[in-house]
Amino acid sequence: MKDWDRDHVTSIILRVGVIGSLFFIIFGLVLLFVKGHADGYSLSQISTITSNKVTSGVLNLGDIISGSIALNPLYLIALGLWILIFTPVSVVFVALIEFIQEKNYSYVLMSLYVLCILLIAIIVL
Amino acid sequence: MILIFQTMLGLLGVLINFISIVVAGLLAGLLGSLTGLGGGTVLVPLLSLFYGVPIILATGASLISTIATSAGSASAYTKQKIANIKIGIGLEMATTTGAIVGSFTLYFIDRANLLWVIFIAFGSVLLFSMIPTIKRSMSELPKHIPPDWTTRVFQLSGSYYDSRLRKTVEYHGVRWYYGEIVMFFAGFISGLLGIGSGALKVMGMDWAMNLPMKVTTTTSNFMIGITAATGSSIYWRLGYIQPFLASATAIGVVLGSYFGAKLLMRLTNKEIRWVFFAILSFLGWDMVFRGIAYSNIVIISIFLQTTYAILLSVTMIAIAFYWIKGVRKHERLG
Repeated sequence: MKDWDRDHVTSIILRVGVIGSLFFIIFGLVLLFVKGHADGYSLSQISTITSNKVTSGVLNLGDIISGSIALNPLYLIALGLWILIFTPVSVVFVALIEFIQEKNYSYVLMSLYVLCILLIAIIVL
Repeated sequence: MILIFQTMLGLLGVLINFISIVVAGLLAGLLGSLTGLGGGTVLVPLLSLFYGVPIILATGASLISTIATSAGSASAYTKQKIANIKIGIGLEMATTTGAIVGSFTLYFIDRANLLWVIFIAFGSVLLFSMIPTIKRSMSELPKHIPPDWTTRVFQLSGSYYDSRLRKTVEYHGVRWYYGEIVMFFAGFISGLLGIGSGALKVMGMDWAMNLPMKVTTTTSNFMIGITAATGSSIYWRLGYIQPFLASATAIGVVLGSYFGAKLLMRLTNKEIRWVFFAILSFLGWDMVFRGIAYSNIVIISIFLQTTYAILLSVTMIAIAFYWIKGVRKHERLG
């Protein structure tokens, strides 16, 4: 049984994901300019692109949600970037649901494999 | 008073810095979509050659921007129902695995202080990806190859409505296993160099699996985002993503590829694309020479690097231009 259009849902998810992520990124950037510092780093340190001082290495993944709620500019940007990373992942998820409904088991297995690899990349490694 | 003035000046400096990165992203997105090679392929050379950005941070920013453009344009393509999501997901098994291997290879190269290798690899991949991209304009539909066992087992048949040919095109893919092998390398290159490696993905579906060009390009576009998401999450842990840089380039590349796609549709004189190919091949050669210079094996000044890069790219594009023109003329006569 199939009562929804996968391609349409996919298209909407992709659009919402990109717009949502850009929203948080821009919001974080504006806050960064207004506050002039974030997470103990000055604006000039954060905006230095010729050295790798303030990179994703100093941002703890577990703090993204709480940091964003506390309106920490760096974590808001990080939240935007992670929404972006999760956007294509959700497309695989939508496809998986459809394959399950169609009882297309070889493709259920294949999308599960892709999701596992993605989860390993995000969480384990 | 002076203190406020200094703060304002500092803010202005950061703002200008930000805008100049957005401009680099804009240029990359524009050139990337006009040539069909993708924003990252232009962004990494621009940032590492002219902005003084360490190459690992350039690859991190590029991979993030690649997700944004892929998602943006895939959103439009999937609605037209040309991209084959089923084939795409099957092949993603290989690209995501490849992306993990590629990202860790970059990490080990970085740890071993051999980043000059990345410059040379990047330049070479850029130059080689231009070949299938330039050739692409030659044929739309593949020649008929009978279905094989993988067509049935992996359900590689599909159809789409071609608005230019004004008919529904039925197609089927073959040699799925070759597709998977090429896709593993595409994923590996994506994780290693921080690009979408769309050219390699197109090769996998076009040459190996004999799918029509429209299906190939749109499906590859949708796959690029998933591959880049895998690489990006590992890059994040490794500290290769600089938030300020990545957000500026993501905004720039998204805008640039949007305008690039619009411009491409209006471009009536297709030969102007050769100018863009020439710029791209210059960036490719410049990366190769910068890598050679960083290796300290041969010492070449920046001036000589640029000169060699210009000479070689002009020669290469001139040869390709006359070669393609010759082929077209021959086809018309035949």
